[in-house]
Amino acid sequence: MIGLLIAEWRRMVVEAVRYPLDTISGMVTLFMLFVGLFYGARYITQSPVGGGRLDTVVLGYAVWMLMMAATSDMGWQIQNEAQNGTLEQVMLVPWSSRLVFLVRGVMAIAAFLVPCAIIIAGLLAITHAHFVWTPVALVPMGLVLATAWGLGLLVASLGLLIKRVGQMMQIIQFLLLFVIIAPIAVLAGVGWHVVAMLVPLTAQVTLLRDLLNGAAVSHWVWLEAIVNFAVTMAAGLVLFGGADRLARRRGILGHY
Amino acid sequence: MPMMSERVAAGTLEVEGVSKVFKTRTGPISAVDRVSFRVAPGEVLAFLGPNGAGKTTTIKMTAGLVRPDAGDVRVGGVSLFARHDAVTAQLGAVLEGSRNLYWRLTVRENLEYWGTMRRLSIRGARQRADELLALVGLADRARNTVQTLSRGMQQKVALCQALMHRPAVLLLDEPTLGLDFESGAGIKRVVRQLAGEGTAVLLTTHQLDVAQELSDRVAMIRKGRLVLEGSTADVLARYSQPRATIVAATPWPADVAARLAGLPAAVTGDDSLSVDLADDRGSTLYQVLARLNPHPLLKIERHQADLAQVFQEVMGEVAGEVGGGAPAAPIAVSAQAGGMPS
Repeated sequence: MIGLLIAEWRRMVVEAVRYPLDTISGMVTLFMLFVGLFYGARYITQSPVGGGRLDTVVLGYAVWMLMMAATSDMGWQIQNEAQNGTLEQVMLVPWSSRLVFLVRGVMAIAAFLVPCAIIIAGLLAITHAHFVWTPVALVPMGLVLATAWGLGLLVASLGLLIKRVGQMMQIIQFLLLFVIIAPIAVLAGVGWHVVAMLVPLTAQVTLLRDLLNGAAVSHWVWLEAIVNFAVTMAAGLVLFGGADRLARRRGILGHY
Repeated sequence: MPMMSERVAAGTLEVEGVSKVFKTRTGPISAVDRVSFRVAPGEVLAFLGPNGAGKTTTIKMTAGLVRPDAGDVRVGGVSLFARHDAVTAQLGAVLEGSRNLYWRLTVRENLEYWGTMRRLSIRGARQRADELLALVGLADRARNTVQTLSRGMQQKVALCQALMHRPAVLLLDEPTLGLDFESGAGIKRVVRQLAGEGTAVLLTTHQLDVAQELSDRVAMIRKGRLVLEGSTADVLARYSQPRATIVAATPWPADVAARLAGLPAAVTGDDSLSVDLADDRGSTLYQVLARLNPHPLLKIERHQADLAQVFQEVMGEVAGEVGGGAPAAPIAVSAQAGGMPS
């Protein structure tokens, strides 16, 4: 298991360092996207974005970047590896394919932390915002990422079968943006609590935001966040295993 | 075919009755139909067939990349589908049409990556990479990225990655396709050495000279059905014809046919003739030579089939037989079986 982690970590770091343009262009794109959204919204509305809570806006964007990376990486890797002709070799290693791609998802986020920190620093600089990171936010942040990896397994399941995740990721990135913005988990009524348990990431994001804002967090939101993570991860693991078996039965593991 | 019932040696690959039907828009296609074979440790089995015969599907089923509709794949008696990870750990594969490697990583990084992924320690992977690169003569290329290597070198590195964990069974799908003579020879040398060290090798190739050179046994597949299996030497002997060709250094004299009267020999050209040895008791060729004496001769050659001829003949024989219904039994060629295959 340690060998698997080290192997994936080294591969990702080597590729990122050897081809820095890929990493840098990704960072610039994410930075410019925020700048466009931030200044565009301010120009259109002629009022402060986020009701003056710039720290919340930057934090929301940072969480969105991490969620996007965690959700999309496994699917993109499957698509790229199928195109490059290495996917079948990956499926020949004596580890469960679920574990391999989950480890890859975790390592992708680990490798993304430094670029992400640089982007956030840049965003804080141009918005003159600042926020204080408290250790208590680590648990909800971990829940956010773990749930995003579960969601990533769902995306990767489809990637195994159709080898194309680009269109799906475009839809998902807007759904994730909705999750960041919509306060579903704190809406009144039992129905909304059920929705928060079922719609991935809504409760986790609410939990993280409330903890960082110093707001009181109800037990309901904690429960929703944990149940939501468990359901999403279980669904991801089950569906990825099913997609793996189906792809092998159809003989389409290496191609579509 | 005797299979699976007795205890098998560790590292023996057994493919038992595997079948695969693919559903397509135009209807189901039977890609592989009840194919069985066995490859013992130290043995190279050449798995031959025309395009679309089912070779790659069979090799992918053997690797577990395609799940058969029926049948089983075992290594050392352990089913791939019952204990996937344990059996996969004993398999190495170089797949045709795949890069098998990360082109942006160096040769060494690739080998260390795949070695570690196959449960070697980091130090073990590093040492094994050094051994294999020395074996294939690429030690001086260890720090080059794979994308900068020639096709032949890439194929050697792909072979190395499949060997990192010292697999008991090596699956090679067209390993020498598109390689120049030197690169192909290098791959063949490594395959021979691996077999010599006890690795069971399943080899598919369209290069029948490569198959003949490397294989201990040969199996032929057509339209998903196994149509021939036997030791390469026996197959070649069985398809060789009982005749010899004599080639003269100068054109035959005008009376050569008269000289050979009463003997089973026929002039086939200005300077060649054929001797039928079907009923030979050991003296026919000497009798012919005595009649030709003292005409200068260039060579005397007994007919020896090669795999290309066997392949053409077998595919021709079964072309009319393969269709619907139950598969015809494959032609089993062994030293004990007598007579020419019908």
